[in-house]
This record gives sequence, C-alpha cells and structure tokens, in this order.
Amino acid sequence: MVIEAREIVSMIKDSMEQRGLPLPVSREAIYEWSRGLGLPSSGDYLLYTGGLYQLLPYIESLVIQLEKVGKSSVGGFALKLAKKVMKVVDVSKLVSKPDKEAKKYSEQVLQSIARLLSAASISFYYDPELDGYSGALLYDMGLLKSFRRHAERVYEAFRSRGVRRIVTIDPHTTHMLRSVYPKVLSGYELEVRSYLELLAENLDKLRFKTSSAGPVVIHDPCLYARFENVIEEPRKLLSAAGYDVKEPRRSRRLTYCCGGPVESLAPSLSKRIAMNRVEELMEYASTIVTLCPICYANLHRVAPRNVRVADISVLLSERLE
Amino acid sequence: MSVKRITYKEALEEICKGLGDEEFQRGLRTGVRNAEGKFLKILDAHPELRELASMVEDAKKKVISNLEHYIDMAMESLKKVHAKPYFAHTAEEAREIVAKIIGRGKTIVFSKSMVAEEIQLQHYLEELGNEVWETDTGEFLIRLAGSKPMHTTAPAIHLSRQKAIELLRKKLGIKLPDNAMHEEIVGAIRKFLREKFAKADIGISGGNALAADTGSIILVENEGNIRLVTGYPPVHIAVISVEKILPTFPVALAAAIVQAAWAGLYPPTYLNVISGPSSTSDIERKRVYGAHGPQEVHVVLVDNGRVEAAKHPVLSGQLKCIKCGRCQWECPVWQQTANLWGGPVYGGPMGMGWTAITLGLRDAAELSMLCLGCGRCDEVCPVHVPLSSIIHWLKQQYTGEGE
Repeated sequence: MVIEAREIVSMIKDSMEQRGLPLPVSREAIYEWSRGLGLPSSGDYLLYTGGLYQLLPYIESLVIQLEKVGKSSVGGFALKLAKKVMKVVDVSKLVSKPDKEAKKYSEQVLQSIARLLSAASISFYYDPELDGYSGALLYDMGLLKSFRRHAERVYEAFRSRGVRRIVTIDPHTTHMLRSVYPKVLSGYELEVRSYLELLAENLDKLRFKTSSAGPVVIHDPCLYARFENVIEEPRKLLSAAGYDVKEPRRSRRLTYCCGGPVESLAPSLSKRIAMNRVEELMEYASTIVTLCPICYANLHRVAPRNVRVADISVLLSERLE
Repeated sequence: MSVKRITYKEALEEICKGLGDEEFQRGLRTGVRNAEGKFLKILDAHPELRELASMVEDAKKKVISNLEHYIDMAMESLKKVHAKPYFAHTAEEAREIVAKIIGRGKTIVFSKSMVAEEIQLQHYLEELGNEVWETDTGEFLIRLAGSKPMHTTAPAIHLSRQKAIELLRKKLGIKLPDNAMHEEIVGAIRKFLREKFAKADIGISGGNALAADTGSIILVENEGNIRLVTGYPPVHIAVISVEKILPTFPVALAAAIVQAAWAGLYPPTYLNVISGPSSTSDIERKRVYGAHGPQEVHVVLVDNGRVEAAKHPVLSGQLKCIKCGRCQWECPVWQQTANLWGGPVYGGPMGMGWTAITLGLRDAAELSMLCLGCGRCDEVCPVHVPLSSIIHWLKQQYTGEGE
C-alpha cells in the first residue's frame, strides 16, 4: 500500500497556508523552548531557529503513522488506516501527541545552541514572534509559488522589524535564507550566518574542557557540505572541544543523505537509506555527530542501542567549562 | 508499439517490493560496493581525465546550442565516408527505418544500446519475424529474464549467478551444473553467441559518440561483442541519438574515453572507430566497399524529443549527459532501487531528465518526487549536467507550481 505523492503534497500545502508551518502544530510549539531562559531581546544577530528542531517530535509521530500505512497489505484495512491518518492530520489530533523523547531532545539542542552563542560572546537576540518556518519543504517539494508567497511573508516580517543580520541553526533554514530567498525575492538583503560559522569565527572565546572526549564520526548534512560550504567549521569546533573527529568514507562534498527528504513519501525507502548510512558510520566510532534535525531523526531512528546519535550542539555544549 | 508507461504509484509499489527482495538487494549491494567512488581512484591516477571531461562539456554545449546544424553536418560527413545516414524524428520513424533496411526473417545481433531500448527496437524487429540476439552479457541475461536493464552500463546488476544459471538452462537449454562458476557461465554464453555472430545478417549497435566533421562512430567496450556486432555481419546499423554528436573526431574520442572512465572502466579494453563501411583498394587501386568488415553501414540518428529539448531552458542541460551512469552509482535512492526508479527505460538521477525528454514531462514529473534533492549526483557528473536542478524543476511541473 502506497500513498500518492499528491496527498502528502496537498496536506503540507494546506497546513502551510493555514498556519505557516508544514504540520498542524500550534505556533507556540516553535518558541516555547525559550521560556524562562532569559534570552536577550536585542543584539546584532536575530536568532531564527526555522522551527525544524521544534517540529521534529511531530514529524516523528507522523512518520510512525505513515509507516504503519506503508506496511499494511493492500486492502480494506490499509485503506481505512490511510484515511484515518489523513483525517487525524486534518483535525490536528496528531499534534497533541508529539514524540516525548524527541521533544525533550529538541529542547536540549535549542538550549545548547543558545548557551554556545552566549559562551562565544556573540551578540544575538531572540524574538518569539519573529521565529517560524522558512518554507524549506515547500521549496523541496516543488511548490514554488507557495514557497514564494511564504518567503515574502517571512521577509516582510524581518523588514518591518528592521532585522539585518540573522543567525540560523540548521542547514535547511540556512540554505533557504542565504541562497534560495535571494533568488525568489526581489531586493532581498540579509546577512545570514549559520551558528556554526559564528562559533568557529569566535573559537578563541569558547572555553572547552581540556580532557579528551573520545572519537566521534561526522555525518555532513548535504546542504551544508554541498550547497553552503559549511564543512571545516564543525570539524574545527569538535576538535577544539576535545573530540577525535573521524572522517567516514563518504564525507564532505561527497557526503551521503540520511534519507530524510523522502520520509513522508516513501518511509520504507527513507529508512533503508538511513540504515545504509548508519552501517557505514558505525565502522568509525560509536558516536555519530549530526548537524541537522532531519539527519538526527532519521539516523537516530535506525541506529542500534549501542550507537549514540548526537547533535553537534549537544556535544559541544557538554564540553563547555 | 509504445513504451509502457509507469505511474508514481506503480513505481513506488515496485520499489517497496524491490526493497523486500533479498536477491535483488544482495546483487545491488555488491554492485554498488564495487562501483561507488571507483571513478575517484581512476581520476587520482589519471588527473588529465578531468581536463578531457571539461573539453567534452564545452563541445557538448556548442552542439546543443546549434543541434540542427550539427545534425546536418553529421549527415553530410556520413555520406562522404559512404555510410547511409537517416534522420528519425520519432521512435516510430526510427523503428520503421531500421525495419525497412532489414526486412523479415533475418538473424540480427545487437550490442547493448539504451537508444534501441528507448525506441523498443528489439521487440519490434522480433515481431516482424526476425531472430534477434543481444550480445552484451548483462543485457543478454536481462532479455532472457524478460526484465528491464537496471543500470546504464551494468544492466544485470541485480541478477545473481544462480539466477543466470537458471535462465540459461530454462530459456536456452544450455547444460550448466548447479554450482557453475562465473567463468563457466560466461563461457557458455560466449559459445552460444559465437554461432549467432557467424550467421548474423545484420549487426545493430548504438554509439557513444558521433563526430560531425568526419562521420566517425565511436564505441567503447570491454566485452569485445561490439567489435563482432559491428565488424562481422555484412550489414551494420548504428542507432544513435542526436545528442551524441560532437563537433570533431578528437572530441568524439574524448567523449567515449570520459564515458568509460566515469563508468569505472579505465582504460577501456576496446575503443572502436567506424567511419563508413570496410573497403580495400588493393587490386589495381580500385576501391571496393565491403572487405572483411561490413559492406553497408547505416546510421539512424534518433531525435525523439531531443531537438525540442535543446531549445528548452531547463531540459537542454540533460543533453550534455554522456550516459556513463556515474550519477546512478552514487545516488542514495538509486542504490536501493536501481532503475525501478526513473522511468520505463532510463533510471536514477539521469533517468528523470531522459524520461522527460523521450517520453513526456508528466511521467518524469511524478517520479521526480522521490528524489532526495541531496545533490550528490551533481557532484559526480563529469560534464556537470545540472541533475538536481532538472529534477527540482520536474517537481514543480508535478505540483503545477512552476514559474
């Protein structure tokens, strides 16, 4: 039993039009992580999370549901289940059940990133109202007109608040804001930096423990490595934090996708690609470093128990003095 | 007769089946393990190949921007070397032209050609009552199995040794023990096909490149079957798609060399050059056509959407492709699905563009949705076909939100 691409595409499109997010999730889910952290409300760089880490627990729940559909045999039951999944998504019931473990992890990542930016004395600020989603999935799925409409709204919000510099935290949002928005919006002028770039530039200000932290194997995300040239920064940071960074066979510009982009259309295919990658990475170290929430979710889902998949921010933050 | 179209749903169902097919996966995994990254080692040892590739890319661009001119030039040059050129606008026309040359009741040996596959030539000639034999070992087995080629240069990637033994026994009555080793199987195929080569009336090949200035066909191979197909029977027909035309003979040779290197076969065992029929003037300096090689060489240039695509802002990029299959070996999706993903003939990243050009936008657009957009294909293409951009554009055609 397979689900037509059109159904998934229209589900995402509808959700984006209704709430500016690819899944029926409340806006609160995007900024609730920042509560009580006392993040600065003014500074040089606006911290724009892009919401991907926050959406991760909801994506996780959805993929589990879709996989159930995929696994069922063709027939009445499968069809009923498929409709149920779609209906659940339609009435937003799914959003009440984000994956708990994933939710905890995504909060840990976001807080680690804020901690690292502060530790490196980078002047940044956070505005819950300005945070949101870049529209990456619309672009990736070929929904170009919807994407442009969304990008216009995002950029207009930035402009009306006088935002000029942005720090991003994941490769998808970085790629959209830095390389794709300028192509679809006229007069677009924003300085967009990945937090890894800013941290690497301010490495001298970061004080890491001096002990050795053991070997880790790096999984370059496609967009950082092939589209945004963020390759050396994570290596530099991890080494400075005391990790012994191992290069897998498929790394840097020839890195290997985690399978994430097709997880909603073909969950079994996506999973197989992730397994293929995890098997390779495991040969180098028992800790796999990811730099992207989608990579994290996909590799984590299939990694055996004795393998730790960890976001770079968590690994770096653990090593702060 | 037309190519059987594949919908998104059918393709995805086939892919899911393929993911669960142990034998298919085992074959594919072994093939990928041997092939992935292989070109990098070749390039490390022979860095001059990168320059060659960039020369080929420039020449390709030149041809694409003026394709009709180069088609005319190639046709004229072919006439000058006493080959007979034909231009086929559609797949149907191409089949008709070949059928007219051949007639009925002939024995035909083929050397694997994706364009022949694209225009469904073998089936058509069989239906007309000809005996048709594919001679590339992988393609020969694929034909026996009745399945489609799973990779551009390694069509039988998914077939195991056991499956090959079973096919030869069942379909051809060849006696092979259960535990026959690879050498024995290849030997049995060789023996079987020798006879066919000897009695063949016609040999049909594709072409890796065609030089517009000399009318020379370039064919690169390892098996040696192409030399026999194009050299032994009295008549040789080459079916070549028009984007294979290159301005000059040296750059046409370069295209074949680059194709082999990026396919992972370097040096290629054989590089064949065919500039018209064989001839001799050894008796009283009188030129006689048809010496030891063919007396007739027919060249069918196949358009099938390419001339139009050359004018297209996005799809024209696909015409640079030299079909080395490198993007397939390196694609994370293709590594799991082989050509189950891509279209009825072509597959993987390059398959999307080729399906769009030769079959139709709609067919390719649906299937393109399964692309990860990871850009690994762009990274490895020797002639910088903007593969992921073409696929992204196809996705926009699927959603109807292109601009």
